[in-house]
Amino acid sequence: MRHLRAALARIAGFLTRHRADDELREELASHLDMEVAENVRRGMHRDEARRRALMASGGLTVAAEAVRAQRGLPWLESVAADLRFAVRTLRRTPVFTAVVVVTLALGIGANTAIFSVVRGVLLKPLPNRDGARLVYLRHSMDGPGGSNIAFSVPEVRDLRTGVPAFAGLAEYSPFSLTLRENGDAVHINVGLVTGNFFEVMGLSPVIGRLTRPSDDGPGVPPVIVLSHEFWLQRFGGDPGVVGTQLRLDGKPVTVIGVMQPAPFFPGRVDAMLNMVISEHHLSAQMVEGRTHRMTEIVARLAPGATVQRARTEVATVDARMQGEFKEAYDPASHYRVSVIPFKDALGERARLTLWLLMGAAAFVMIISAANVANLTLMRGVGKEHELVTRAALGAGIGRLRRLLLMENLVLALTGAAIGTLIAIAGVRLLVSLAARYSPRANEIRLDGTVLGFTLALSVILALLLAFVSSLPREGSFASVIAGGGRRASGNVRKQRLQRALVIAQVAVSVVLLAGAGLLTRTMLRLSNVQTGLTTESVLTMEVQLLDFTSATDSAADAAAKQTYMRMQREILTLPGVIDAAVGSPMPLRASIVQLEIKAEGKSRETGEAVPTAEFRTASPHFFHAAGIPLLTGREFTDGDGPGAQHVVVVNRALVDRLFPHEDPIGKRVAWTGDVLRFTPFSGDWRTIVGVVGNTRDGGLDAPPRAVMYLPFAEEGAFVGGGIVIRADSSAAALTVEATRIVRRIAPSTPIENVMTIAQIKDESVSPRRLNAALVSSFGLLALVIAAVGIGGVLAFSVSARTNEIGIRMSLGADRGRVQRMILSEGGVLLAIGLAAGVAAAYLAAGVVRGLLFGDAPPDPVTFVGVAAMMMCIGLLACWIPALRASRIDPAIIMRT
Amino acid sequence: MADKLEVQQGTLALMILKTLEVLGPLHGYGVARRIEETSRNRLTLNYGTLYPALLKLQQEGFVTAEWRQSENNRRAKYYALTPAGRKQLAREAHDWHQTAELIAAFLAPRDKGEAL
Repeated sequence: MRHLRAALARIAGFLTRHRADDELREELASHLDMEVAENVRRGMHRDEARRRALMASGGLTVAAEAVRAQRGLPWLESVAADLRFAVRTLRRTPVFTAVVVVTLALGIGANTAIFSVVRGVLLKPLPNRDGARLVYLRHSMDGPGGSNIAFSVPEVRDLRTGVPAFAGLAEYSPFSLTLRENGDAVHINVGLVTGNFFEVMGLSPVIGRLTRPSDDGPGVPPVIVLSHEFWLQRFGGDPGVVGTQLRLDGKPVTVIGVMQPAPFFPGRVDAMLNMVISEHHLSAQMVEGRTHRMTEIVARLAPGATVQRARTEVATVDARMQGEFKEAYDPASHYRVSVIPFKDALGERARLTLWLLMGAAAFVMIISAANVANLTLMRGVGKEHELVTRAALGAGIGRLRRLLLMENLVLALTGAAIGTLIAIAGVRLLVSLAARYSPRANEIRLDGTVLGFTLALSVILALLLAFVSSLPREGSFASVIAGGGRRASGNVRKQRLQRALVIAQVAVSVVLLAGAGLLTRTMLRLSNVQTGLTTESVLTMEVQLLDFTSATDSAADAAAKQTYMRMQREILTLPGVIDAAVGSPMPLRASIVQLEIKAEGKSRETGEAVPTAEFRTASPHFFHAAGIPLLTGREFTDGDGPGAQHVVVVNRALVDRLFPHEDPIGKRVAWTGDVLRFTPFSGDWRTIVGVVGNTRDGGLDAPPRAVMYLPFAEEGAFVGGGIVIRADSSAAALTVEATRIVRRIAPSTPIENVMTIAQIKDESVSPRRLNAALVSSFGLLALVIAAVGIGGVLAFSVSARTNEIGIRMSLGADRGRVQRMILSEGGVLLAIGLAAGVAAAYLAAGVVRGLLFGDAPPDPVTFVGVAAMMMCIGLLACWIPALRASRIDPAIIMRT
Repeated sequence: MADKLEVQQGTLALMILKTLEVLGPLHGYGVARRIEETSRNRLTLNYGTLYPALLKLQQEGFVTAEWRQSENNRRAKYYALTPAGRKQLAREAHDWHQTAELIAAFLAPRDKGEAL
């Protein structure tokens, strides 16, 4: 009670301190008056009385100070005083302050921005209930397109019953549906899920309900659960949407709820539906076909089970399946199932890039901190005299340390504030980068945790910087003052520290620049990759006239093909169009259909993996319109199609695989394999009539795959359709006119991915370009900071050695000699830093290997280039102080 | 500041409270004079010791302060004991007596052979 009361009184005292000061002065004065009066009464002369009274008082100012300390919150007042003092000191040296603040702001800004992305995409716990217990199952095999082949229903069944480490297993098949509303049509990406899906995933509805086991099987009404994002985007977050019906692929589907925001793998989805929407998914083919793999699996670990146990049990099931159903698992293709924590699977593609950027940002931070430390050290020498004077006047060491800390805090926090602004701008850019790598990009926030990270970073920096500059030891002031005050040299330990910091800066800059160089060269190499197309002035657009569900409707199919041909004819009439054709998928886009193939009269050697090829369709002129070179034979003609001889055009990669050193024209090939049963494609023999060049359909960095092109007229239109338009000059200029024609002919069909070949190519290069640009800007930043660092240290060394240089010059050293002396001082630091940097970069190159394309490191061109660049900039930075040293006039120096 | 103290911190509060109990409301100068006289000038109180102590007692609620005219027509701040201050004085005086007796007993010459 008593202490509380005292504390409250102190706070009150702090708030009313100005009025109380006046009162205190009056009280002390009245005390003094009374004492003087008493002394006079005792017979003293008035002056003597006053002198005695003052002596007895012990000093009015001291007393006032003591009362103030008792009255308010002395620490707060002194912190405020320190703060004012620090700001005043920093304002006296605006250049120093500006350099330090900007340096720190860049370092802190880069780190804050990148950390917010790393946290959002890689570190933050999943929003799912007990998200850490979710695992993703990946089925993969050797060969192109084999990295993730999904599971068939029988495989899912085996895993569900054979792995006790799983408490539950959620299945979903990625699927695409057309949503038609008020004459507008869009494709939406959905998942077809089992009733237990949301239970296993640990997700709750925001409104309405989610699917449950009673939604499984045939004969139930189709229902849809919207993703949070799609609900906001498409329905403006209207809760009234629950209970309404949407038309999906022409069928009415009831909206039952909206799920909480959550990321999905492999990509984002707009909604989840029960299986009943797709007859195919409930058909015997799907349910019984072991090779009919369309289902993704996320499982929840049983209580007490570990990922390791799950891996062992899954491997056992996998081995049993492969032993029992030999025809479904070609041994040479090495089928395997891996168990990956769901969070890791989500962050998988982003991980390497993000940690690389985080590392680069951390390096920039280290360099900026080293630079600030160096500047502080140099200033520390200049401040030594001031500190000694302060100490002599009664400031304790603790108080001096606190002053320094306050100065550094002001610097670091100002840097952090500006850095946060930089980060806010940077995060927008980074989100677009992250969105290419991770389904969690929309979770990136500059939230409390990130800002806490920034604050912690800057406080730690301030602490380190405050303790870098050494204070005079207690009791040593007298000797320093007696020594004549101003010693400009600093001590040996300090100089050694400065030099070490410069070497570290140079080394780290070299590492960053080397990384930037490797990434830039990769990016350039990638954009120089031949796409396989002879021209970039081609416009492509995807127009899906027929839904997957109308696969068997032959009348609709014929009508759709007529419509495509009409579009092609009308587009051909546009001015500037050289040629137009129909096919699917568009050039430089991967086909989702990849099937096993065989060549007539050829048998596979044992141990040789089953050859596969992409399924693509092409109308007559397709290759000409797309700019795909015809190597031998002919294109498709109007004569190819239903009723005619089965013909195909293949690409170079397929010929190399099946008919090396042979003339492929006239040879026969066919689709094959168990999975063919579940597809609408026939295994008839087809005669090769033409060979076209390879195209980079799986991305510029992936090797070309074998492709079999079939006549567009012969295959079902539901597999997809798109239009390629070859322009005589700018393909992009045709966009508006071509889109208008398609829209007029098929008003209720979504037109998607209207892009020129150049744009598609750029889509593949741009993430790497952004990567390279980011690391390069970090590298350049580091270079500039390091140059300022080395130049600054030399300049300082010159001013410390002014006397010495003066003596040397008066003894006969000429200007050139002095310049060489200073340059070599810097050169040694540069050389050591370079050597260390190149060695470190060589080791670090292994880390970025996964992000590179083409030549694996070490890349001598990059390394030599980077070293030369660092050397030039470094020497340039040394030149300025060297020049200054050579201009020293010995006559002036010696006199002072 | 600590090395300049001539009065022990704890005892000064007790002396001030006792002075105010005996003499009634009094200004700082009066309190200082009284303590110096009572100690037969063995203690000298400078302002930097006295006024923080008075302020502390005020903050703890043991004394109150108000401005009044002094006997020779000067304005001065008068300190007066509160009921809580009176209780505190009794408690501290009691404690102090006990401590003093204890210390005296410890320091007194002992009879030989008496067990500790």
